[in-house]
Amino acid sequence: MSGDEPIRVMVVDDHPMWRDAVERDLAAAGLNVVAVAANGSEALARFPAARPQVLVLDLQIPAPNGVEVTAEVVRQDPSTRVLILSASGEQSDVLDAVKAGATGYLVKSASREELLDAVRRVALGDTVFTPGLAGLVLGEYRRLLDAPTDDGTPKLTDRETEVLRLVAKGMSYKQIAERLVLSHRTVQNHVQNTLRKLQLHNRVELTRYAIEQGLDEE
Amino acid sequence: MFRALAVLRVVLIANTVGLTVFRFDNFTHRGLGLTVVAVMVLWTAVAIWAYDDQRRRVPALLVADLAIAFGALVSTPLVKGDGFNATVPGFWIAGALMAWAIHWRWAGALVAATVLSATDLLIRPNITQTNYGHVFLLMIAGPIVGYMCGSLQRMAAERDRAERAAAIAEERARLARAVHDGVLQVLALTQRKAPELGGEGAELGRLAGEQEQALRSLIRQQDTLQTPESAVADLGGVLERLGNRKPPVVSVVTPGVAVDLPQPEVAEITAAVGACLDNVAVHVGEDARAWVLLEDLGDRIVVSVRDEGPGIPEGRLEAADADGRLGVSESIRGRIRDLGGTAELFSTPGTGTEWEFTIPRLPLGSSS
Repeated sequence: MSGDEPIRVMVVDDHPMWRDAVERDLAAAGLNVVAVAANGSEALARFPAARPQVLVLDLQIPAPNGVEVTAEVVRQDPSTRVLILSASGEQSDVLDAVKAGATGYLVKSASREELLDAVRRVALGDTVFTPGLAGLVLGEYRRLLDAPTDDGTPKLTDRETEVLRLVAKGMSYKQIAERLVLSHRTVQNHVQNTLRKLQLHNRVELTRYAIEQGLDEE
Repeated sequence: MFRALAVLRVVLIANTVGLTVFRFDNFTHRGLGLTVVAVMVLWTAVAIWAYDDQRRRVPALLVADLAIAFGALVSTPLVKGDGFNATVPGFWIAGALMAWAIHWRWAGALVAATVLSATDLLIRPNITQTNYGHVFLLMIAGPIVGYMCGSLQRMAAERDRAERAAAIAEERARLARAVHDGVLQVLALTQRKAPELGGEGAELGRLAGEQEQALRSLIRQQDTLQTPESAVADLGGVLERLGNRKPPVVSVVTPGVAVDLPQPEVAEITAAVGACLDNVAVHVGEDARAWVLLEDLGDRIVVSVRDEGPGIPEGRLEAADADGRLGVSESIRGRIRDLGGTAELFSTPGTGTEWEFTIPRLPLGSSS
């Protein structure tokens, strides 16, 4: 879908130096930075007109925060991809952002090449994982198992668990594909599914909560 | 507390006025009696107003309070003649006593109770057992109330201090988060931009990277901070600390929530992981990378340590064992075996080495 058209990217970060650096790097690599924003409300105000394919988003921004921005942007346009760029590492808010619909996560110390690669892959619909995020996702599925059982509770298949564990151990998709004798695409699909199930579950939970609280009569 | 006393005063004066009306026949000098009661009513109103503001609670007010109670008592023989049974103010004098108890604690209460009791006894021509009982109660109850007021106020002050300390700590943590985030941002940016400057830029970038990792690991450890004397520790938080070491460059991956285990188990597992990392440093080299993964599977925990070095040829550890060189076996396998777990080694030449420890998890105390 990217074709010859440059990928349209929006950069949201409250740190001006950082925002400029990311914007410059993306533009220098031929990507089209259609908008930048310094906080959550700016991001949501500019998003509808800018229509970016990829939102490069810092989690620690003035309200609404990165998790809320992720949820709102994905709600408005489910085809938008959100790549979380976080300074503070693998914390619970990263997991929340992923559950809200982000499909990529990178720490800010990643190199320029890693960032460009991540933006391109996320734009193509791939998921970009770090080992730390894989650990968080594994932990989350584990906690869901302990929670009161219910038909809608997502579970990982054995293969998905296996793949996710290897990601958490720092292996690249290519290495995992070699080890498990799978295609790169299949590994990617497994990883993607682990997130998709969590996101779906999160939406169902939110809807249920809204109904319980009588918030659905809008 | 003076608010509560105000309520008590109203009840007491109502009681006294009621009794006065009921026993008006006992009064030999009715005009004087009415005047005394009127003064008491007036003083009750003044006292409630005066005690309401802390600035007005000066010693003079308390002395006046006690003096009026004293005066009301002394007036009794004049109002009722010599053969009286109850005094004119009756229990009303408790208002002044309680004021002294609240303000000057048990010592003040003792002074006020002594003054009032002595007066009460001195104005009576003869002392009955009931009189004695009242005086005794006055002397006992006054200081006790004073003492309890003191403890209450101390406790309230301590609670205020604790609440203030907690609020300060919370605010400090909030500020620290903002500051840490800013520092991490700048360190990450430096790490990224510095190598482009050429010359010493690369070194600068590397230093920024190290500091970034150290700070990040510190933040995560703080999130799961435990008191030193605690019997359990968060294995995740402790393993995070291994991320500071170099070589090898270690990425530690945890489930994101605390994995609490008994302190000695945490120490043993950490030591075993440390031994694995030492091996990586020795056999793979200075620039080696390693990954530590911690999983909490409920009834057991799994710790994996992976590197991308040359791997350990099959049979070499067994051969070392047979030779009597117990290094790897003892420091890694032995420790895990002692915890009732298993340590498995997966290694093929060329794709690195991977240790996987599976340790059964016993229920922690009574908590889980």
